Amino acid sequence: MKDMSVALKFIPLDHYVLLCIILFSIGVLGVLYRRNTIIIIMCIELMLNSVNLLLTAFSVYHSDPTGQIFVFFIMVVAAAEVAVGLAILVMMKRNIDSVDINLLSRLKW
Amino acid sequence: MSSESLILFFIVGVFLVGGAIVFSTFVPPSSVNPNKSDTYECGIPTKGLSWLQFNVGYYLFAILFLIFDVETVFIFPWAVVMKQLGMVAFIEILIFFVILGLGLLYAWKKHALIWE
Amino acid sequence: MRLEDFLLMRHELLLTLIAIIILIAEIFTDDFKKQGIRPLSIILMAIVTIVGFLPAPTGTLFGGMYQATDMRLMMKNILNIGALIVFIQSASWLKSDDNQNKVSEFFLLLISTLIGMNFMISSGDFLMFYLGLELATIPIAALAAYDRYSNKSSEAGIKLILISALSSGILLYGISMIYGTVGSVYFDKVSVAYGATPLQIMSFIFFFTGMAFKISIVPFHLWTADVYEGAPVNVTSYLSVVSKGAAVFIFSIMLVTVFQNIAAMWKDVMWITAAITMTLGNLFAMRQNNLKRFLAFSSISQAGFIMLGIIGGSELGMAAVVYYILVYIFSNLGAFGVIAAISNASGGKENMSDYDGLYKTNPALSLTLTLALFSLAGIPPVAGFFGKFFLFTAVAEKGYWWLLTIAVLNTIISLYYYLLPVKAMFINKAETSIAYFKSDGWTKVGLIICVAGMVIVGFASVIFEYIRTLSFGL
Repeated sequence: MKDMSVALKFIPLDHYVLLCIILFSIGVLGVLYRRNTIIIIMCIELMLNSVNLLLTAFSVYHSDPTGQIFVFFIMVVAAAEVAVGLAILVMMKRNIDSVDINLLSRLKW
Repeated sequence: MSSESLILFFIVGVFLVGGAIVFSTFVPPSSVNPNKSDTYECGIPTKGLSWLQFNVGYYLFAILFLIFDVETVFIFPWAVVMKQLGMVAFIEILIFFVILGLGLLYAWKKHALIWE
Repeated sequence: MRLEDFLLMRHELLLTLIAIIILIAEIFTDDFKKQGIRPLSIILMAIVTIVGFLPAPTGTLFGGMYQATDMRLMMKNILNIGALIVFIQSASWLKSDDNQNKVSEFFLLLISTLIGMNFMISSGDFLMFYLGLELATIPIAALAAYDRYSNKSSEAGIKLILISALSSGILLYGISMIYGTVGSVYFDKVSVAYGATPLQIMSFIFFFTGMAFKISIVPFHLWTADVYEGAPVNVTSYLSVVSKGAAVFIFSIMLVTVFQNIAAMWKDVMWITAAITMTLGNLFAMRQNNLKRFLAFSSISQAGFIMLGIIGGSELGMAAVVYYILVYIFSNLGAFGVIAAISNASGGKENMSDYDGLYKTNPALSLTLTLALFSLAGIPPVAGFFGKFFLFTAVAEKGYWWLLTIAVLNTIISLYYYLLPVKAMFINKAETSIAYFKSDGWTKVGLIICVAGMVIVGFASVIFEYIRTLSFGL
């Protein structure tokens, strides 16, 4: 564990932060541009995973385990979120026979 | 670990994987026939299209699996340090199990576990 | 950790207990006995609400992760009252044939969200806060999609789950940056070490955005009306009152404690967003015909008014926010209760034109709705007036005169549209107004509680004084 955190610190923190910003931006752009609900859920997962990576990197650099514990909880909550989201998605597919969010205009003003 | 070893690791990786692909394209004799490009399902010839609708039962099982699979994230760290944490943590994890079990019992009662 | 320490988590533990009782009752009873679950849950919830008011010790648990102060206990009690009213109001709706086989699920999901909100309000670090927030939002999405065969309901559900997942992703990104710059997730450590380095300001912006989605402050409000309209009426009332109230509570606590070092900065941000929120919410509310959408936009503008108290940031402002949420629970639930009763009795009539001449046929319901709308608008005899008055005082005290002017102008605009349904009920003539119907006991009890709350909370100044003694500011 000690060796590993030394090895991880070999890569400067900036690189992790940059990578996470890029991943997070890809996720946000995916949510904004893609029209397929499943892909949107995947993009949200990507955002959460970039947060996980960032928390882990910070945790190693602060030599403080809180960040890694946080990651566990984020993973579990993300799974619950996806389970509920997919269940509603199946319901939507059964009702309107599509998973395209452009068709969700019944409630627009 | 230094950058040399990383670079070496990278080069070796590229050569191993790339080499395997090159080797398998050029060296073995190639034969193309319709039987070979058929969809393979346990040796039995496939019937109908593969774009068929999946039973929604798979989906329910997948969600149940997802939930109970992820819960191990909490159980595993506890199991590693079980002895040091002592009795209190044991009772806490038991309560956790009971609530999880109630969830499973609920799914069972709602006939989510019956394969139709 | 001693056993008495668990008394600090009284609200959460009791709610967890009743959730487990309801779950066991659902699992181990036969189908024909399931009708008993409805009164059982309501009675259990009533007991928990009453027990919550008993005096309790205060302190912290888990090394500061969980904080129980008198103010936070008060907030939890207010949310419990709101949830209890929602329970009572939804009792007759749950009796219908479509919903009979999923009664206990409704109560279970609602109680889980309440547990999440209570943990969120008591949180002393970002981890507990995040867990509470997620527990408070995910089951709501399942509830919004409660009508399994309705397109609108599933649309509301998918919109709510996507938006809440997106916003919690943004929020988490902010939290991870706060953790990166400060090196701790505990509120007391963060509040000391939080400065104004660029990364910290960016993290605050992410955090603010995430919370703004949850409270539906204006640039991030677009989901609100759709979800409120599509979800079943009782879920909408819960979403617009209890859920929003919990988010406002924790947001105000965090702004004055965790982010106190950058108070000057967040006050500017809040100033602008509050002004836009009030104005846009009002302007959109004016052109709505569906009453659920109408109340959705009205709740957006109410969120703008509530932010006034947070901008004041003083001890008075905090007390005004809590008091206003209490008033808002009674008034908004009163309005939604009437709409739900009429929608259930008339087969889904929710448009303003359907209410023409309602006073002739159902005088009691129309008087209740009128009182609730008066309270939302802030017309003197009812509690809403005092709530708005305290919010305005909190802002005026700190010298935000422009903001106060905008708020007062918006109150005048809001009078116009809050009186539109009243006009429809009392003045408009209609050939076929909704026929007379008798609402059942549960609905009556729910509405009577709301009306009593609106009147009593307004006139009993003790309540505000009591909240004031608990409150704290910047």
